[in-house]
Amino acid sequence: MAWFEPDDADWQYVSRSLIPARLITLWLWIALPLAGLVVLGVLASPWVFLGAGGVALLGLWSTWVVVRQVTAHAWCEREEDLVVKKGRLWRTVTVVPYGRMQYVEVEAGPLARAFGIARVQLHTASPGTDASISGVPAAEAARLRDRLTSRGEAQLAGL
Amino acid sequence: MTDPLPSVPQRGPQVIYRAPREWTRMHPVSPLLGGWAVMGVVLSIAAYNVAPSWTGVDPDVQELTHLATRSILLFVIGILVILGLVLGFGYLSWRFAEFRLGDDAIQQRKGVLVKQQKQARLDRLQAVDVVQPLLARIFGFAALKIEVAGGEGSGITLEYLRLGDAEAVRNELLVLAAGVKRAKEAGADASVDAVLERLADAPVGTGAPVASGDDAAGRAAGAGEGAQTEQAGAAAYAAEGSLRDVVGMAPGAAETPAAAEREIYRVPTARLLMSIVLSWPFLWLLSLPVLVGVGILVFSSDIERIIAAVLSGGIAAILPAAFAMVGYFWSRLAGGYGFVAGISEDGIRLRHGLTETRRQTVPPGRVQAVRFEQSLLWRRKDWWRVTINVAGYQDDQAAVSTLLPVGTRQEALTALWMVLPDLGDPDPAGTVSLALSGQGAEGGFTPTPRRARLFDPLQWRHRGVRATDRALLIRRGRLVRHLFVVPHERTQSLGLEQGPLQRMRALATFTVHSTNCPVKPVAQHLDVSDALALLDEQAERAAQGRRRQTPDEWMSAMGLREQERP
Repeated sequence: MAWFEPDDADWQYVSRSLIPARLITLWLWIALPLAGLVVLGVLASPWVFLGAGGVALLGLWSTWVVVRQVTAHAWCEREEDLVVKKGRLWRTVTVVPYGRMQYVEVEAGPLARAFGIARVQLHTASPGTDASISGVPAAEAARLRDRLTSRGEAQLAGL
Repeated sequence: MTDPLPSVPQRGPQVIYRAPREWTRMHPVSPLLGGWAVMGVVLSIAAYNVAPSWTGVDPDVQELTHLATRSILLFVIGILVILGLVLGFGYLSWRFAEFRLGDDAIQQRKGVLVKQQKQARLDRLQAVDVVQPLLARIFGFAALKIEVAGGEGSGITLEYLRLGDAEAVRNELLVLAAGVKRAKEAGADASVDAVLERLADAPVGTGAPVASGDDAAGRAAGAGEGAQTEQAGAAAYAAEGSLRDVVGMAPGAAETPAAAEREIYRVPTARLLMSIVLSWPFLWLLSLPVLVGVGILVFSSDIERIIAAVLSGGIAAILPAAFAMVGYFWSRLAGGYGFVAGISEDGIRLRHGLTETRRQTVPPGRVQAVRFEQSLLWRRKDWWRVTINVAGYQDDQAAVSTLLPVGTRQEALTALWMVLPDLGDPDPAGTVSLALSGQGAEGGFTPTPRRARLFDPLQWRHRGVRATDRALLIRRGRLVRHLFVVPHERTQSLGLEQGPLQRMRALATFTVHSTNCPVKPVAQHLDVSDALALLDEQAERAAQGRRRQTPDEWMSAMGLREQERP
């Protein structure tokens, strides 16, 4: 089915480094219960291994989802606005006019820094605006922020 | 409150403004007016603790409280200590709370231990409210709430000033904000001093460059009762010595009168009461005796046993529900009581409130979104409730975000016109009327396709979207009808969502993000190609709207000002 694909769209896909960064967090969460269940299985009953298998399957499925999500996550700078698209199963498109941006936030946790990526978040006066771009290469993130800020100032409209 | 003077004094050539340029404290009685909330909390805790056991207080706590309150002397001392603490803290916080009009913002600093400094920039001013809680109202004081665009808690509250002072500061801020905005647009010096200077040269009362003679005459003729009393209230201040003497402000200053106000509609108390009667909680309340009667018949037990059962087991369950219901009735009644809406050069003016009165002023073009609402019970009367989004109004939303608590269709249309004088449609009344009660593709709406009935069996026929030149209309609801109106230039951002089930049916949900307020416009389950086209078109229309918006446009559309201005 056709989805949002404007003619002038020059999609910038996020860095693939986001995949390992997200997978590490994911598998930290998966590994704990998995290890617990395996130990329990050894000590108590082999039936518990079923649960462990379930958790492992969940982890694998989540891994697949993460890969699909990251490869679908992109942004595009147009003349008047920034477009962010996300998701495959639940897909969203957010259009944020430069003139409506209140401020731009760049954040990078230790893990993201290790992979050289950052998260760029746009804030408007609306709390409903969910315009964040995860996994922008760090240098590009700084450039993007500056570019967005200067465009925002140039086109800033009163609330 | 102050006695109205017979006439409004003539303004001298030199307009001296009232909002202090130096750091100034609030009125010295503020701690007495403000401390009652704390006292109320303390007293209710005390009352709770000495209450009889059926309310279910922890026996240990009760034991302790009894020990503490056994001696009357101890009790009195306790009260005095608490009173002293409250007053002492109140005094300290008054002592350290100051405000002033800075170069481009109104600034406030407060805090005894932790210092806090806030500022509300005039060019970001969204609304100014004069609020009078009961006690302050009795003694003629008011709090001034200045709302600006920005995150939560970015507004400034000045509590308390004399009513006249609060109104004067409000009027001045509104005029200044308009001046700053105009100066910015003209590319001139937009500092407060420069604007003041320009305003001092301007001919008429509000300081705003009002154009022709007809216009001024029209304003005078159209000035409602409310405006006159308000002006008189502000004028009365000039005759008395008050804040300035107490806190040492410059003597002999003139004040800015409120811009003349034209009343647009008011809500009769009878209708407000009727609207509360026609609400689900009230009907539920009415049905209680019937339910009890049925219970008696069915279970053939006598009424005393039922009451006993309710008292023993159900009180914990019933009390919160009863409180919630009373709270609902109270907020509807208190918020809508004496509701008057008017327009002035400063913007939309709303006055309402039973015990706590609130006079809101929302400058032109600050309304971000509008919602019409009609529950099933109101349909016979064709009554509507109109709610607005104004950036900055964040707490106590229901009290401040109502444009019309209950009104006829005609009044609801008028309310919309006040906010959005030009709907960009040749027949705005007809269009909105169709939007309010139509279905399907009536009135040029893009309907939700039949495919959506799986997700939306009741509403799908009533959902629809339509863009006029100036605003987006979103209609929904079968039992409770809703209509959202979002001016294109107020669009913050746009969103499109699609879940897996929607995808199978080629549907998508379109959202307009508005500021943090009760109105959340969303058009669910549109045909995906319609939604995509809408997203593109709305982005373009919003961009055009942003280039076009000016407050003067609002004023000329409202007949408050001539189209051409120097």
